[in-house]
Amino acid sequence: MSATHPLAETHPLADLQLLSGNHAVAWGARLARPQVIPVYPITPQSPIMEKLGDFHAAGEIDAEVLTPESEHSAMAACIAASLAGARVFTATASQGLLLMHELLHYAAGGRAPIVMCNVNRTVASPWAFWPDATDSLAQRDTGWIQLYSETPQESLDSIIQAFRVAEQVALPAMVCHDAFYVSHAMEPVAVPDQALVDGYLPPYRPEHFVEPGRAESFGYVIDQATFNRTRRDLDAAMVQAVDAVAAADDAWRELTGRGYGLVERYRLDDADTAIVTMGSMAGTARVAVDALRAAGLRVGLLKVRLFRPFPLAAVRAALAGIGRAVVLDRNYSPGVGGILHQELKAALFGLEGRAPAVHGLLAGVGGVNVTPAKIHQFVADCAGREPQPQSLWVE
Amino acid sequence: MNTATSPLWSNGSTAVIHTGTWRSATPGYNELPSPCHQACPVGGSIARWIGQLRDGDPFGAWLTLVENNPFPAIAGRICHHPCEAACNRAELDEAVSICRLERAVGDRALAAGWRFPEVTARRDQRIAVIGGGPAGLSVAYQLRRRGYGVTLFEAQPALGGLLRYGIPPYRLADAIVDGEIARILDLGVEARTGQAIDAAAFARLRREFDAVYVATGAARSKRLPGLDYDQTWVIDGARYLAETNAGGRPQTGQRLVVIGGGSAALDVARTARRHGRDVTVLALEAEGQLPAQRDEVVEGLEEGLTLVAGAMLQSVTAHADGSLTLHCTRVEFVPGAARGEFTVTPVADSAFELAADAIVPSIGQEADLTPFAGSGPLLAVDGDFRCDLGNVWAGGDVASMERFVTAAVGMGKSAAAAIDRALNPERAAHFEAEPDAVPYAAINTHYHPPRARAATPRRAPAERIDNFDEVQLALAADAALAEAERCFSCGSCIYCDNCYLYCPDMAVSKLPDGYAIRTEYCKGCGLCVKECPTGAIQMRSGK
Amino acid sequence: MHKIDLVDQGLFNPGHAACPGCQESLALRAILNTIGPNAVAVFPPSCGAVICGPHPYSSLGIPVFQTTLESAAAAASGLRRALNQRGRHDATVVCFAGDGGTYDIGFQALSSAVERNEEILYVCFDNEGYMNTGAQKSSSTPLHAHTASTPGGKPTRKKDIIGILAAHGIPYVATAATGYMNDLTAKVRKAMGLRGTRFLNVLVPCLDGWGLPDDSGIAMSRLAVECGAWPLYEVEDGERYTLNRAAKTAPVDAYLAAQKRYRHLDDRQLAEVQAAVDRQWAQLTARAAASAEADAA
Repeated sequence: MSATHPLAETHPLADLQLLSGNHAVAWGARLARPQVIPVYPITPQSPIMEKLGDFHAAGEIDAEVLTPESEHSAMAACIAASLAGARVFTATASQGLLLMHELLHYAAGGRAPIVMCNVNRTVASPWAFWPDATDSLAQRDTGWIQLYSETPQESLDSIIQAFRVAEQVALPAMVCHDAFYVSHAMEPVAVPDQALVDGYLPPYRPEHFVEPGRAESFGYVIDQATFNRTRRDLDAAMVQAVDAVAAADDAWRELTGRGYGLVERYRLDDADTAIVTMGSMAGTARVAVDALRAAGLRVGLLKVRLFRPFPLAAVRAALAGIGRAVVLDRNYSPGVGGILHQELKAALFGLEGRAPAVHGLLAGVGGVNVTPAKIHQFVADCAGREPQPQSLWVE
Repeated sequence: MNTATSPLWSNGSTAVIHTGTWRSATPGYNELPSPCHQACPVGGSIARWIGQLRDGDPFGAWLTLVENNPFPAIAGRICHHPCEAACNRAELDEAVSICRLERAVGDRALAAGWRFPEVTARRDQRIAVIGGGPAGLSVAYQLRRRGYGVTLFEAQPALGGLLRYGIPPYRLADAIVDGEIARILDLGVEARTGQAIDAAAFARLRREFDAVYVATGAARSKRLPGLDYDQTWVIDGARYLAETNAGGRPQTGQRLVVIGGGSAALDVARTARRHGRDVTVLALEAEGQLPAQRDEVVEGLEEGLTLVAGAMLQSVTAHADGSLTLHCTRVEFVPGAARGEFTVTPVADSAFELAADAIVPSIGQEADLTPFAGSGPLLAVDGDFRCDLGNVWAGGDVASMERFVTAAVGMGKSAAAAIDRALNPERAAHFEAEPDAVPYAAINTHYHPPRARAATPRRAPAERIDNFDEVQLALAADAALAEAERCFSCGSCIYCDNCYLYCPDMAVSKLPDGYAIRTEYCKGCGLCVKECPTGAIQMRSGK
Repeated sequence: MHKIDLVDQGLFNPGHAACPGCQESLALRAILNTIGPNAVAVFPPSCGAVICGPHPYSSLGIPVFQTTLESAAAAASGLRRALNQRGRHDATVVCFAGDGGTYDIGFQALSSAVERNEEILYVCFDNEGYMNTGAQKSSSTPLHAHTASTPGGKPTRKKDIIGILAAHGIPYVATAATGYMNDLTAKVRKAMGLRGTRFLNVLVPCLDGWGLPDDSGIAMSRLAVECGAWPLYEVEDGERYTLNRAAKTAPVDAYLAAQKRYRHLDDRQLAEVQAAVDRQWAQLTARAAASAEADAA
């Protein structure tokens, strides 16, 4: 860690709160003025909803908080509330996210701009609670916008940005951060003013919604051509989302001084090797990059923040001309390997002559600790071998 | 609007989808005849007037009634009510007390002084009606309503025929007869009483009038073969009643045996009871076969008649002290094919004796056809009640063996229509065969909770045995209404909205005066037909 | 004269896809027109969901939200909260779900919504099976009834959903049937005047699923009520029982004989069905009597 927190440059310490990632998310959600908040607990997400519950009990947020009996019901309630014109927030993790799976499709297909925080935790079997992003990455086909956050501050800011983007393109969005590394680790967080957020995020005004007196209904069976059309519309929204995320981030940076981009290029300008990763691993990789650079190696970091829609152009531009990419996946898709590894290879396809050789490493699957020294080791090992098509298990 | 702005949001209405293409059977509203209507001798619209009564429109009910029968107060007392025998309600619990309801309407009309609607039609032709009994009065009424000039000739001093001179007042008070006849005269029927028509007068009437209707009834009593009517101890039943009507109390011994089982015999017997006589009724028919109405038998027994049914007189022994021994035997009575025909078989070894002081035979009437040169026993008529005598029609007891007052009224009504057609051929009737009456199976009895039939109130026997006041009393107003509610209204729509509201497809629209099927939506499920409480909707095959 | 206590406000449109004579569509007509226009409806997959559409047409005169099969009560809860946030506390949120979406896959979410006493009117259209998908068994299917997934007859009794929901202590739980239309509309009106979760279980004899003639739905529902197979009763606040028809007036025989799904019944099975009906009836009568006594005291 650096001696002074980056935020200290722009924020007096008095304006900072020491917050865990979960509580930072709760603050982000609160500032967005949600109207309906379905709550279901699961480790390690529960503190988000408990904090929101505290805000609500203290009368500090004017929202309907409801406590259904499962995440499936929580998401069902989210969708109905969202399509009734209310701004909706919820949070989950792991098994809870999986239980919502049917409804994640339902939400995106229904174009409900729900914002959800997912705390990345291993999925059973077997049972465990450790950081691993397989849970949300396994939802990459559902149509949700996905942002992966490295720090509590980023989580807070991303939640707010997510509402703006979701409501603009009419797609649900999830902001993901790793169990414990981000969810429970505490750091100084700048909590913006409500007035600032109000200026950034106007009230939610959908074109279509369910309400007595409005002659429109949702969810009726449609024919093949119409279904095809809805998918094309969804595709167009995803395309639009790329720019929308970038624009929302730019606007936020203007207001607060904090921006994260669709991807972040760290010391990549003259690099011959790019470490490519997401989430808290990016923070560890950042430290490893500094060490590698200090050791004379031209290594940089490409942090992928926006995962869905996949930021094709930004990734291709960032990696073009770099000789080697080392993907660190704290996730695993059985039968194919690291998910970012696969997506990256596909994203780079056709970048003739300028595409890096891609190494895919399964680093930290199941929550195994990955230190900067280990990353240093992984990068060095990759330098000494040919890239493999399959992802490699590393320890 | 049916062009969606979004593929996810539906803002149109399914009303553009015409599900009527699905069906293979279609419901339709057709008022069908009720079984009471088809059994009624005057073809009354019974379901309709009971419905009007039920809906609180007794005047409307009366107008409907008098379309076919100008004598509801009379009929409501003495009609043999074949409607009740046909009533579908009997299969659920008991037949509707239609006759008493007709009386309720008729009595109300008399009390309120209701008049027939004014005659607005005008015809130049004139019809002579011979006989002022129920048949003659009925034809006179129906012809006068059509605008014809009608002159009615009656031999007796007053109009009414059997209504006045036959049926005793304890069954039908004179005031009732007066009231209902007066209304007919008020329409402009000219009545000449005390004018018997002989052959010469008949011929003159045939020349002077455009049509003649013979309704002279059957005024001649049938004679019991083998009985010496010259004996002082034999008084013909009709004579007994006539003397009573004239204000007298016939001179007889104390113990009377009335021979006969019809209404006339019961009339005589109960009249004699009121004269303080001990009366036995001796009838060929078994009690269950008696042609008299059941009410009359029951009331008569309450009044102390002794009934000896299924037996016949074989011979009489007159004793020196004036008393009689009647030698009788039990018989088996088998009705024949036509009314009035029968066979009687004495039962072996069943002889018995009755002691009496007088015998009052009351075995039926015959028509006197002398003025008409008819060959009898009845004046022959065709299906239009026309005689083979030029412009002569006939009806009632002179032309039919159906010896019922309301049958006579019905015949008069039919003859009036026939006369009208004959005199004005451009008004040819289009005969549509009437469909079959609504069967019980077509009635959804869920909508008709079981309820006992209203009992006809009667005065206690002790209170009626020494006077001629009416025995049967009117139904109380609430009892009449409750009884009207028991009517199924077979075949008539009662605007209950069942079809309209039970349709899952909103395929029945409600109109100001009924309902219509929205054929563009109707799927032909048949719920409307099944849930119609009256059978006024039927399914037919096809679209 | 018998008069159906219903004014059609045009809140259910013709042209919908229900089978001819469908009792669910008839019940929808009655209930929608009793609830009035200030309402939104939630449907999970069911015959009802099909009857709603298809896109872009709707047969309901109020807005509809269709959700997944498990989540009718959960979606209705979300909808309710959103409407409240938007100042529409006066609007009715009504669920129309089948017995599958109520007794089985939707049961968990229903129990939760009921436990939270969400301000929802929940109507279950109970045709005692998964009729929309071809008449498979649900836990609402009665003892010995044939279904596509229990061809020899269901070996277990019908789940007592009223008892279960009454045990949650909500203000109002009741049964109804289209054959007793005035009782049905009266119960809807009564429910509309109460707060919290109100649950109405409406018997819907399924013509295709039970093997019945198209015009027999109303008559069948009356047979069901009259023989006690579908008692009409209410439970208020989880404990106050009212029997709306004091006696059952027929054995089950005629009711069962009219349906193809009981065609295979032998005498032993018939006796068991009668016994199950008798047992339930005795329990209800006792509870109703106890409630009446408690009220009088």
